[in-house]
This record gives sequence, C-alpha cells and structure tokens, in this order.
Amino acid sequence: MIGIEDCLSEAMAIPGALGAILVDHTSGTALATEGLPDPERSAIGLSETFRATLDGLALSSPDGTIRIDDLIITTDHGYQLIKPMETMWDGPILICVRLDRDRANLALARRRLDSISHELIAS
Amino acid sequence: MLSELAESKATGALKAGRSGTVYLSKGRVCYVECARTPTVEELLTVSGRITSHGVKTARQTTAATADGGDMLVRRGVLSRGELQLCVLGATLDASFFLFGANVPKPRFREGDRHWLGIQWFFDVPGLFRECHRRRARLDRAWPSAELDSRPVVPVRRIRAHHVMLTALQWEILLNADADTTPIELAKRIGRPAYTTLLAVREMAAAGLLETPAAAPEPPPPEKRLELPKRVAGSAPRPEPPNGNGRRAQSSFPEISGDPSDVNLLIRLRNALEAFQ
Repeated sequence: MIGIEDCLSEAMAIPGALGAILVDHTSGTALATEGLPDPERSAIGLSETFRATLDGLALSSPDGTIRIDDLIITTDHGYQLIKPMETMWDGPILICVRLDRDRANLALARRRLDSISHELIAS
Repeated sequence: MLSELAESKATGALKAGRSGTVYLSKGRVCYVECARTPTVEELLTVSGRITSHGVKTARQTTAATADGGDMLVRRGVLSRGELQLCVLGATLDASFFLFGANVPKPRFREGDRHWLGIQWFFDVPGLFRECHRRRARLDRAWPSAELDSRPVVPVRRIRAHHVMLTALQWEILLNADADTTPIELAKRIGRPAYTTLLAVREMAAAGLLETPAAAPEPPPPEKRLELPKRVAGSAPRPEPPNGNGRRAQSSFPEISGDPSDVNLLIRLRNALEAFQ
C-alpha cells in the first residue's frame, strides 16, 4: 500500500518515464506531479483528452456503457499513458505518464502502471 | 489573516464561526472544513466505507492523539492513497466555498488539530490559486451564478435529439426533486460540492435545466390516465438493423424530446422510493 508521493516516484521509476502527474478528472486539478514543466496546463489538457475519448467512444460503441481501462497515445516523441482510478466519492483520478519512445517498453509500462494504481487505491 | 498565519508558521485551527475551519501545521494548510461541503467523514460514510457510528467512535478515541487517519488505514477502512486523495479533494472543495464566502470574523486556536491527523499539505498561495482556477472554470462552463443557489430543475422537454451525460450528471438528474440546490444535492449523494456545481452548470449550458431567464413553464397538459403513446425515435430503441450501414449508437439511453420519457423516469423514481 502506497501514498500519493510513492505512487508518483514509482511511476517515474518505470523505464523511459519522463514525467508523471495525478489529475482529478472532474475538476481538472493537478493533484501531484513530477517532471512536468507546467502541471496546471498538463492537468487540464490530459483531463480534456480523457473526456473527449470517453465522449467519442460512447458515441461509437455499439454496446454497454464506456469504461476505459487505460489510454495509450503514441506521438512522434513518445508515448502518453493515461489510466483512470475509480474513487468511491468522486469521479476518477487519472494517473498519467509520459514515456520516451526509444527507451520505454510499452507493455511493461502498462503493467507497472496497473499495479501502481492498485497499490494506491486498494479496490 | 490566513496568509499572516502561514508566514508566521503557525500551528492550530482558524475557525470562522460555524462556516468552517482551516487547520494549519507550521504555516501550511493540512485540512479545511466548510459547513456547506461534504467533509471527509461524510464522504466516507455516504460511500459506505464506514458507518457514522464508526466515525464517531474513531474520532472520540483519537481526538487527543490526532492520528485517526492512521487508525482508519490500519483497520483497512481505506488505503493510505485513498485517505490522502479524500483529504485532498475535501480540502480543495471546502476551500473553494469557504474562501469565497462572507464568513464571521475568524478566531485562531493555537495548537488545535483535526482528529484525522495530517495527510497532505497545501501552501496557502497555491490553495488560493487553485480556488481562482476553479472559479474561472465554473464561469467558462456557464457564466452565471444564478443556478448555484436555486433548486435543480431538469427541463421537461429538451431541444436536442441526443444528449450525453457523465455519471455524476446522471446522479444529479436522478436526485433532483425541484426542491434541492446543487450544494445540498452534493451532500445527499456524497459528492464534492464543486464538481456537482460544475456538472449542474454544464447541464444548464447544454439546455437540460430550467434557468430563471427561460420563459415561464407552460401550463401542464391535462393528466392522461394511460401511458402516452411513444413517438418514433423515442427510447427504448428497436433492435438495430443488421448488416452494413448501421448507425452509430450511444451507450447512453437515447433521449428524445418526448416528455413521456421524463414522466416515466419520475414515476419510476417515485415507485422505487415507495419501496424503501
């Protein structure tokens, strides 16, 4: 079981991690961050990315309500992983990690992020 | 006054009458309570993590030592991360409503601590900055505060053919009884007041709520005894046709302009309430 700060340092320990941030999705608040120059802007941008994906998928999905397990975005510079963690009292908290394209192992990063999120929110 | 206390590295509780309390430790804010927003205790009880009796007992046994948070984590009520996130969320929520309100002259009680203990730190300028950002975000969603203190009333007929709701907006609509304000609703459903308010303003912007500026409601149509006839395109939708060229479907219930949908929801809710 880990706290917020350990969660961020474990996310930064993922091979190839360049920056990590915890975002409260409903309010767009940057809760804690490491390695990102402008956390407030990042928080807004990442939560809007997540919201747009939810909306888009809700429109295009043929069945059921949409739950996103994680989001993998490949850019020209690297990868961006966004993983929502459900809380009992509010909308999801997003844990987002930016990864170096040459050094990162996407499958490993995804698994590590999954276990980190389960350690932070034991559910 | 809060900034002065922060500069002098004070430890204690700054109490603004019954409106709320700011807890400081060595000049940094560690928790804020506001009478209008759900506290950590309320969020935990409404979400079913612990009973209100459990909270009371925990508070009494740890009032002197101020390590109630650690005890809850040891007992497995919630994880360390969840506790920190809960305190963080509740503090930001309370700050937004406490700092923006007219409050009685605050009194500082040196050395007072909250029974949960210290779970997270906020620096005072950062807290003010976040409140400011949240205010701007609210105004971007719907630039008027007139809905904030009025009961939430969903419109009976919407202009759009199709709407998309977040989970929180769904909860708000189900709990709106034309009598409860957004902040009261937040307490009832155990969600932060700010996010509830934001969701309400977003729904207002989408034309889903009655607004004061809107024309007065037309007189209600005469009461029909049987279920009104459905019109084409209203929910529930027929089986989608097979083969190519299938229309994209939302995972959400299709909402038509047909008031029978709203009527049906209201009747369903009343029936469910009668069951309890």
